[in-house]
Amino acid sequence: MVLIERIGFFFQTVFHLGSDPTNVAILFGSVMLGIMFGAMPGLTSTLGVALLTAMTYGMETASAMICLLAIYVGGTYGGSYSSILINIPGTAASAATALDGYPLACKGEGGRAIGLTTTSSAIGTIISMLFLVSISPLISFFALQFTSFEFFLLAFFGILISGTLTSPDLVIKGWISGFLGLFLACVGRDLLQFYPRFTFGISELDSGIEVVPVLIGAFGIPQIIQVLKERFEIGETQKFQRILPEFATIVRNIPRIVRSALIGVGIGSVPGIGEDIAAWVSYGAAKNASKHPETFGKGEIKAVLCTEVANNACVGGAMIPLLNLGIPGSPPAAMLLGALMLHGVTPGPMISFEHPNFIIEVAAILLLASLTMWVVGMLMAKQVVKVLRIPPQLFMPIIGVLCIIGSYALGMNIYNLYLMLPVGIISYFLIEMGYPIAPLVIGVILGPMADENLRRALMVSQGSFIPIFTRPVALILLLVIVWTVVSQLAVFRNFKDKLVAKILRRKTPVIVLDEHDVEGS
Amino acid sequence: MLEKEKLRKADVYSGAVIFLFGLWIILQAFKMPMKDSWGGVQNVWYVSPALFPLFVGVMIMLLGALLARTALKTIGFKEFGRTARWLLSKALFQFLNSLSNLRFYTIAVLFLSFVYLNIPRIDFFLSAFLFLVVFITSFYFDDAVLLKKLFYFYLAGMIVFVIFFGVGLQEKSSQILPFAGDILAIGFITAYCAYAWMLIRKDPALRKKYRTAMIVAFSAPFLVGMIFKYFLLVPMPTEGLFVTILDYFWYMEF
Repeated sequence: MVLIERIGFFFQTVFHLGSDPTNVAILFGSVMLGIMFGAMPGLTSTLGVALLTAMTYGMETASAMICLLAIYVGGTYGGSYSSILINIPGTAASAATALDGYPLACKGEGGRAIGLTTTSSAIGTIISMLFLVSISPLISFFALQFTSFEFFLLAFFGILISGTLTSPDLVIKGWISGFLGLFLACVGRDLLQFYPRFTFGISELDSGIEVVPVLIGAFGIPQIIQVLKERFEIGETQKFQRILPEFATIVRNIPRIVRSALIGVGIGSVPGIGEDIAAWVSYGAAKNASKHPETFGKGEIKAVLCTEVANNACVGGAMIPLLNLGIPGSPPAAMLLGALMLHGVTPGPMISFEHPNFIIEVAAILLLASLTMWVVGMLMAKQVVKVLRIPPQLFMPIIGVLCIIGSYALGMNIYNLYLMLPVGIISYFLIEMGYPIAPLVIGVILGPMADENLRRALMVSQGSFIPIFTRPVALILLLVIVWTVVSQLAVFRNFKDKLVAKILRRKTPVIVLDEHDVEGS
Repeated sequence: MLEKEKLRKADVYSGAVIFLFGLWIILQAFKMPMKDSWGGVQNVWYVSPALFPLFVGVMIMLLGALLARTALKTIGFKEFGRTARWLLSKALFQFLNSLSNLRFYTIAVLFLSFVYLNIPRIDFFLSAFLFLVVFITSFYFDDAVLLKKLFYFYLAGMIVFVIFFGVGLQEKSSQILPFAGDILAIGFITAYCAYAWMLIRKDPALRKKYRTAMIVAFSAPFLVGMIFKYFLLVPMPTEGLFVTILDYFWYMEF
């Protein structure tokens, strides 16, 4: 009965949001903007969400969420345009799509590839939305049993796993990045005793470092520097014909779609790692499962389908830990967290009590955004593709101005700008030296949660760490953290390799020839 | 991102810097109340505001040391010595003088001057126009010689701005002439545009780019500023001459 009521309420919300002309206008505008952000190499959906956050400040929470989620969904999908048509991924999420999308465009099947990515991206988002609605109450129920120790360990785990999985070089660098983020979160008056930490007498630092300017700086400024410093050129766009939804191909590949969606949701729900990893894992899984893996990389339509389902399924997946635990599942979700806080919504286990219909509302927006994305993709792809002709030297400086006005407008505080720029420049150097930026951002977001819960937990236990070992969830989290760290150590890897080799040697039958056999031969 | 070999060399130094940074965090954390009274509250170690920074500092220090050690182990002491010698040689100067780095300096100087010098003192529309016009012309022309000349011209202008604002000339001149800073900015923008035009006027392709740059540099801050100021009701960081004129037209009663 409750389930039917929830489903009824879901469709009621969809109808309510979709029948408001303002919401529809915001939806279409944001999806189109998102697609443009995704399609233009150098711009990302994270940056799109970051820049639009400032503009949603005066909106109602529902309209703001429509705007931001639509740009997130559109941005994740939009990257496929440049991947398919110019062989340059618009976003990291669509890098795997370029491998087979561009060969398809070269064969004259660009329209088919775009049609397929449009439908599969919409399906991916819708499947992830279903997961969001069905899993959230369960996670929320478990999260309500969490005490301060569990929250501290969860935040710590989020930073470690994000550092482990997003590091393009050594894993240590990912962890360092996460801890640097935690340090930034320490700046300001502490939450329990209001003692000023690392403020150096600057009163503007008393309230701590604002998350949104840090996010804009960390994602926006390095992007601008990289694109303009490396003299990034956009290639010739491949021509394409009519775009069709490719329903027949979709029906033939239902098992692949389900597998890719599961990969997308699963990876999306891991803190800090996003659409790019989901797309690559899905591509790898599709290739391994294929009877003709040799066709991958040469214009295989199944590869395009799998990567696009997975990267868009990440959107809903990233919402699961964000809304239920307050831990962002991907960099754009981190940005959304900042935006939600601006609108007075604090994601976490209490969200189902404080805002009982919020998760259903988010799911309804995801459904509307994916449908809008499909309509825009089908009808307006040829027009949207025209943005690929704009040289980066023209639009990147404008992005710079938007980063600056966006950081300022959120608190109408010029000090945010003074903070955003050094964070951006330092982030650029960190990226150049192989440090991932996502863990730093996750660290800034989860820092206050980790700090407050660690001290609160110790206060309750009078300074004892024993509850970690007596509470099952805390113990599991601790073991997972220890495993995450230990599994990266060279000593452990050597030991594991030796052990595996030993086991394999034992299992291999050893043929011993006795004396008689030798003589006989 | 740098190449693998270069990364390992850089890791030795970045690891050392991170180690020192962690050490600094720890030293700062020790200055925080650990067992003393703060605001009438008697502290115990586990509720001390120093607890979390100490944990973070120790972790950063350990990871920094581990990174430096791993990198040093990979490249070896010999290669490390060679890198250290390179850092003290003329090759470093050549590297810093490369075109790719000049591009970086231009972007950095543009952002730094825009954020720390112009936005707090000059009308937002004017400072954004100046930022965009220099930024777009420097990179859109896609010519190393032009980039160098335009960058040095802008740098010279910014030095004048620093002197003007730094020695308090703005306050003094504002008593005689309102919006003195904005007028100086308009003067510099005009000079910059004229200089850029002089440099490219013989090349038809660059002339076309120049026109596009001017249109984009003017329309973008105008549109963005209008949306934020009049639709989202966000007051601009500095409202000077241009905002006063816009306000006059916006609030004019017809």
